[in-house]
Amino acid sequence: MTSNTADAIPRNQPIAMPAPLQSFAQRLFSGRNVLVVSLVAILSFLAVYPLAMLLYGSLHSTPPGMAGEFNLNGYKSILNWSNTVVLLNTVAISLGKTIPSLTLAVLLAWIIARTDTPWRDKLEVLITLPFFIPPILTAMAWGMLGNPQVGLLNQVWKWATGATVSPINVYSYGGVIWHMMQYSTPFLFLFIVDIFRAMDPALEESSRMCGASRWRTFRLITLMLMLPALTNSFILSLIRGIESFESPLFFGTPAKIEVITTEIYNSINHRATPDYQYATALSFAIMVMMFLLVVWQWWLLKGRTFTTVTGKGYAPNIMKLGKWKWVTFSFCILFFVITVVLPVGQLLIGSFFKFFGFYSYDMLTTEHYVAVFNNAEVWRAMGNTMLLGLLGATAVMILGSIVAYVSVRTKWRGRRLIDGLAWLPWMMPGMVLGIGFLWAFAMLPGPIPIYGTIWALMLAYVALGTPISVRVMSSAYAQLSYDLEECSRVHGATFMQTMWRILIALAWPSFAVGWVLAFFGIMRELSASILLYSVGSEVLSVVLLRLWANGLAEQVSVIGLMMMLLVILFRWVQLKLIKSRISTL
Amino acid sequence: MSAIVLENISKFFGAAAAVDDVNLQVETGEFVTLLGPSGCGKTTTLRMVAGLEQNSTGRISIGGEVVSDAAQDFFIPPERRHLGMVFQSYAIWPHMTVFDNVAYPLRIRRKSAQEIKDRVERALKLVEMGRFADRPAPALSGGQQQRVAIARALVFEPRVLLLDEPLSNLDARLRTQTGDEFRQLQKRLGITSLYVTHDQGEAMALSDRVVVMSMGKILQVGPPEDIYQRPHSRAVAAFFGSPNFIEAEVKACRSDTGGTFVLELDGGWIGPCHSTHEIKPGNKAAVMVRPENMRLVSGDRGPSATGMAWKGIVKESIYRGAHRSVMLDTSAGNLNIDLTALENPAVGAQVDVFAAENSAWAVPI
Repeated sequence: MTSNTADAIPRNQPIAMPAPLQSFAQRLFSGRNVLVVSLVAILSFLAVYPLAMLLYGSLHSTPPGMAGEFNLNGYKSILNWSNTVVLLNTVAISLGKTIPSLTLAVLLAWIIARTDTPWRDKLEVLITLPFFIPPILTAMAWGMLGNPQVGLLNQVWKWATGATVSPINVYSYGGVIWHMMQYSTPFLFLFIVDIFRAMDPALEESSRMCGASRWRTFRLITLMLMLPALTNSFILSLIRGIESFESPLFFGTPAKIEVITTEIYNSINHRATPDYQYATALSFAIMVMMFLLVVWQWWLLKGRTFTTVTGKGYAPNIMKLGKWKWVTFSFCILFFVITVVLPVGQLLIGSFFKFFGFYSYDMLTTEHYVAVFNNAEVWRAMGNTMLLGLLGATAVMILGSIVAYVSVRTKWRGRRLIDGLAWLPWMMPGMVLGIGFLWAFAMLPGPIPIYGTIWALMLAYVALGTPISVRVMSSAYAQLSYDLEECSRVHGATFMQTMWRILIALAWPSFAVGWVLAFFGIMRELSASILLYSVGSEVLSVVLLRLWANGLAEQVSVIGLMMMLLVILFRWVQLKLIKSRISTL
Repeated sequence: MSAIVLENISKFFGAAAAVDDVNLQVETGEFVTLLGPSGCGKTTTLRMVAGLEQNSTGRISIGGEVVSDAAQDFFIPPERRHLGMVFQSYAIWPHMTVFDNVAYPLRIRRKSAQEIKDRVERALKLVEMGRFADRPAPALSGGQQQRVAIARALVFEPRVLLLDEPLSNLDARLRTQTGDEFRQLQKRLGITSLYVTHDQGEAMALSDRVVVMSMGKILQVGPPEDIYQRPHSRAVAAFFGSPNFIEAEVKACRSDTGGTFVLELDGGWIGPCHSTHEIKPGNKAAVMVRPENMRLVSGDRGPSATGMAWKGIVKESIYRGAHRSVMLDTSAGNLNIDLTALENPAVGAQVDVFAAENSAWAVPI
């Protein structure tokens, strides 16, 4: 809106050019068009280019950067029985974790938003914490906790019952699903708790007045009103389950349970000669599947978002639980203990014993700390991760802020295109984007050496982070009324002054919250990093995986603990910001 | 038999009393309005009747049956009180059609499909929404949603209808019209109604009796005319419009019929004035005169024997379309007067203002 008024002002410039041509030139080179065109260019490079290269690579017979011919061998080779099993595994595992996660998330969200359980605000922080821990850390911790031979839980169980058989084996379908649930439950919780809070309590009260009991009201009104949002969350979680890499890599592969992401990874990393065409064709196939899922989601939600549910803030109905409130309280604490205290405790224990699994007094040592602190590779990876985190999160947020502004606050032509492009990486699993970028970098004209530097990782991180940063900033802008901007313009501030003094001044807390989210995202990223790193540009998650593969679980624990400290520090800062300003996620 | 009886009802939120020792009886078929500024406890009172809040003290009976007794720790949940309720936000369920919304209370009560169909159709016809039965609820306008909410609250023939500011989300014109229609409907069905509003006009136009509340307490209960023209206190008087209060000294006080008193007052003029309070001679009283009950008289006519008159200078004159508001500077202080829109005294002009004796009412200071 604001920019339209700027264009309405006639500009009298003494340039000898025919009037129509002059205005055309002005329009072409006006700041707005330059901005729109450069946004489209940047976003296309980040999303469309690797996607196009994915298609190109899937039809190309040789690895990236080598001369070859075009054929359909890649697609032919993915069509076989074992890949059908892989596909079924992927979907079954994702469904298997989404359904219990959603149930658990609804229950937890209800406890936090709608009951008088003590210390609900503190519990909420604890329940959501697992979402911010890099999955690779808990994967390794659970690898130690639930190892069928020497896992701590199995040892405790055997000690306590005198049994000789280990009850827990994380290297199984159950293990993969169990690990995924620890992430999807808090992720879904974050969505659902807000829906519970935003619902007009009168909608439920009127049902009570009509003669329906509390439980009937919950079934017929509350759940039904939440159904569109729950469907949305369900599909979102399903997609994330299909994209998931760490859980199947750690717990599936050792048990010969393969999913699409591990199949792609293995075909490049664990074969005598990496089969790029096969991996790329598989990646493109999974992209198509994601696309169909998203279309399905749109179709399901078409015209079914109830504005009453996403309305203004209400004081929600709080149910008095009486004595039961201690049951719900314990339930939340139990969730926190299992998802955070156990794995972090395992890392702590693991880091101080000579060999993990052999916990006796004389095995206590600090040698792993010494080893880690003397390991130059770890320090380099730490430096790389920090550098990428700081620069990447900043870049993602700046890009996201501009894209969100253009798509939410303006009526410019091309804003829908920009919005769509920025959203595109959202349905690309990190693994797929990684392969796309492998091709993309190889196909760049000669003197641009991106591959093999940390900038390769940076581009992938920016692409992966943009959809989230756009979302965070869009909701921040949406909360700011147009009047605030227009009032500033009316009172004499220019467009840029308004941006700086009003919009940025009001939206910066969201920016900071989004920045921390983006930083978390970069710190935890494994699936794209594992494909794009090279010697010298390793990041922490990659080094962790390598140490783990070499059997150095104890050193992994030390690094894991350091990352945990970082997670807790950043989460604390983020919560401080959210508390003092509007919450976005 | 009273339809609703509230005995010593209080509601504490922490240490603060939102409702403080309220006693009220609503007769069968009566339309009673709880009126007061926001935060006066009127909605909390209604919600305690509904069972959506539990009263901290006291006893609530509906139709002769105790539904809540704090002393006995006895509480019947809302779904078993058999009351209809219309919410401020209407609370029309967006995932259902109009028909399903209205049918909901009957389905909960497991009525037969045929009976549900008949009764829903009748209820929708009652609020003139018959042709909208198949509409999805979100496709309705505010006024239509409000009608559906009323139909839903009436369809199962509840003992009492509770209404929580049902008109406040409508625009002004629709508000008056819907209010009048609702009052007609209520009279026709003879359903006992307890209505909450902060709008004085609404309360006047709809109610058999108005309950004026402030800070959790009832200030006065009575028919609209009483509340407006014969208030118990200055607070009640000041709640409606912006009346003039003229300080006067009581010369004499005698009992009158109907439990009121006639005061002989001296306030720049000397004359009789009615009050609900016995005020001893020598004390001060405030005489309330509403602006619309004062008028200008030609300068040559002296003060009338059956009223009060002052001389004054016009300080301000505001044209409001339907009438003109004039502020006068008189010996009794500043007086606000509503004139007809056609009168237009010049600012600075000297005028005589007159108020009939029956338009004045004395309240204690």
